[in-house]
Amino acid sequence: MPSTIATHRHLLDVAGLNWAELSSYITTADAARRILSSPTGRVDALKGVNVTTLFYESSTRTRISFESAAKALGANVNSVAVASSSVGKGESLVDTVKTLRALGSNVIVLRHERAGAPWFAARVFDGSLLNAGDGWHAHPTQALLDLSVLVRHIGAKDGTLKGRRVAIIGDLLHSRVARSNLHTLRAAGAQVQLAGPAALTRGFAALAEQRDGITLCSSLAEALDGADAVMALRIQRERLDGGEVSSFEAYRQEWGIDEERIAAHAARGCVVLHPGPMNEGVEIHPDLADGPRSLTLEQVAEGIPIRMAAIWKALRGDAALSAPAAPNAPASRKANA
Amino acid sequence: MSRPRAERTLLKDHWVVDPASRRAGVATVEVHSGKIARLEWRDGIVEARRTFNEGAEPGQKDPTKMILPALVDLHAHFRQPGAGASEDVASGEAAAAHGGYGAVALMPNSEPAADHPALLRELVRSNSPLGLTLMPIAAATLGRAGVALSPMAELAAAGAVAFSDDGSPIADPSLFRNALISAGALGLPLIEHCEDPALTAGGEAADGLISMSLGLKPWPAAGEISAVVRNIALLREALHDEPRARLHLTHLSTATALDAVRAARAEGLPITCDVTPHHIALTDAWIAGDRRWAWEFSDRRPAELNPTADAFDTNLRVCPPLRNAADAAACRAALRDGTASAIATDHAPHSREKKEVEFGLAANGIAGIETSLSVALAAHAAGELPLSLLVAALTTGPAAVLGRPELARGLTIGGAANLLVVDRAANWTVNRGTLVGRSANTPLLGRKLPGTVLLTLINGEVAWQATMSS
Repeated sequence: MPSTIATHRHLLDVAGLNWAELSSYITTADAARRILSSPTGRVDALKGVNVTTLFYESSTRTRISFESAAKALGANVNSVAVASSSVGKGESLVDTVKTLRALGSNVIVLRHERAGAPWFAARVFDGSLLNAGDGWHAHPTQALLDLSVLVRHIGAKDGTLKGRRVAIIGDLLHSRVARSNLHTLRAAGAQVQLAGPAALTRGFAALAEQRDGITLCSSLAEALDGADAVMALRIQRERLDGGEVSSFEAYRQEWGIDEERIAAHAARGCVVLHPGPMNEGVEIHPDLADGPRSLTLEQVAEGIPIRMAAIWKALRGDAALSAPAAPNAPASRKANA
Repeated sequence: MSRPRAERTLLKDHWVVDPASRRAGVATVEVHSGKIARLEWRDGIVEARRTFNEGAEPGQKDPTKMILPALVDLHAHFRQPGAGASEDVASGEAAAAHGGYGAVALMPNSEPAADHPALLRELVRSNSPLGLTLMPIAAATLGRAGVALSPMAELAAAGAVAFSDDGSPIADPSLFRNALISAGALGLPLIEHCEDPALTAGGEAADGLISMSLGLKPWPAAGEISAVVRNIALLREALHDEPRARLHLTHLSTATALDAVRAARAEGLPITCDVTPHHIALTDAWIAGDRRWAWEFSDRRPAELNPTADAFDTNLRVCPPLRNAADAAACRAALRDGTASAIATDHAPHSREKKEVEFGLAANGIAGIETSLSVALAAHAAGELPLSLLVAALTTGPAAVLGRPELARGLTIGGAANLLVVDRAANWTVNRGTLVGRSANTPLLGRKLPGTVLLTLINGEVAWQATMSS
């Protein structure tokens, strides 16, 4: 087995992490949630630590939840937004990372439009690098928060997703969320049923063949069959230009999920996820998105504790993250005890 | 720069493989005044007892130090003029000598492109402190822009050994056909990099399991295959107008494209092709961090899909991209059955600035001229390439593609002493310190390779000599 990429220094990927490693993020997120619900909503555990968010792609929920997470742990937060158009022209990624290090960054949270950029950045950074999404490739914290939400709602008695079926529907080709979820869901023991337009599931048939527990289905009904959870992926407007999808309406008719389709095929109590932002009325019906099955807002809220766990574990490894036990107790010492 | 003049060099009892004369065996070679003064086969020549192909394989008790004719490279970039930070003729030549090469054809991808006779003359004149034969391949079209043919006759007179727009395939089919005809009329081959940019634009890694797992933009095999098939069709037609037209396809990487060349050769078309060391020995799984040789993958141990800490090494970004183990096997099979007649390095040095960027933004290319023989020997050690064929693919094969057998006359008494000594049992580690060229953009950094080149002689003079400490 090659060396793992989620060392306790970086979080580059969830691929290769086993269930024990994944569930330790969930456990740490539980502790983080207790901090968030404490009177102050924060601890000083990472006082003096500088966390920088470096985003080469626009993002709302990921960046803000990382920044909230860092603040709730007592870290200082800086934010660098880079217009993607300047990539390759102005300061290179390697120079930017070195500069941030020289300015005292201990943690860089990187969102980049190119697959593999976090690996490259991590090689020139002696702090901790957290991947907040790299191109089509990976979105580790999204997969972790999806896993945390799913375990809470459809988890088996042992806390895993053994025996559960999760459907992922839509544009798999361009989706880092789908790629990372494949790893976490399989490691948690779930069966994964994939489906989407043929041009947007390119390569996934071979991938499914290669790996146990993953099926590429030929229709929405087949993918929804017996599903305990359904994850709809965003369909982007540029897919229309590339001819991968003929129209949003055609997409909705074949691949859009709504209550009727879920009720007809999925398991009772099937829950619905979406990484956002949603095209309501295209990949997901508005009533479903806002209805009782929907966990979409819970996914957003889960972002903060999971990202607290990601930052904490990158810096402190397996040390327990503790909520403030009593007023005036130095949280950072406690946390390291 | 003064070089040690080896008045007399005695190489006693080495394993000698000479494809030009189809002889192999244990021999003693003595070099005197730049020529081979003595060549004595210990047991008589192998030809007498076995075929060359079997006879070239050394036995357990045979010496591990081998003498081979100096190697010939069909495809290298020495970046002069234009990119001296990556390589220049002097550093490229030194790197080539370290790799065991005695003759190197230089692609015209310089800045400006080698499309002007004066530029070629300059390049030929800058030959060459170490005495290697450096042969300019001239641009097929002006500025390699694919709009108008270059002044081919003048370029040929100035020393061009072939024409190519390497890296910028000639998109216009009529222009391509005319290039074949014009080059053919001058008795020179057209060398084509087969790629349809409409299919490959933005491609980061070969379309397949690895690119899909790593989220890298796919470079489909059809991007090579369609160009190969088109070019074969155009060659067939060009021959009606110019029977001397010759087409050489460089760095083919897909099984299907090689099949197309195999069929075209069976049809009798004057077409040849080469494969690179990296396409025969590496796979796209290296991008995920898997570091096995291409022949070490199997159904039981398929490519590792989860990226390791070593993943996304930009030294693996190359065009055409590294492919899966089956395509790499097809490249080796093409060498074995003669479909591919040469191993060409596509030595493409790049400065750090061009590689220390995101994977998809990194310049394409691997600096390979110093490691090609070792990589080929690794394939040999694994039983993947017979030694006779390996040496031919690095000497007589490429010389024949250029129509210049004199580049690989081999080892004959009274002939020029252009040879190398390599110890196939001596490993060396590829790193910044052991590489001689100006750029170290190779994915083999840190890897131990078989086959240390101990000595390269060009006209009897030392172009490369290993220090004894290693």
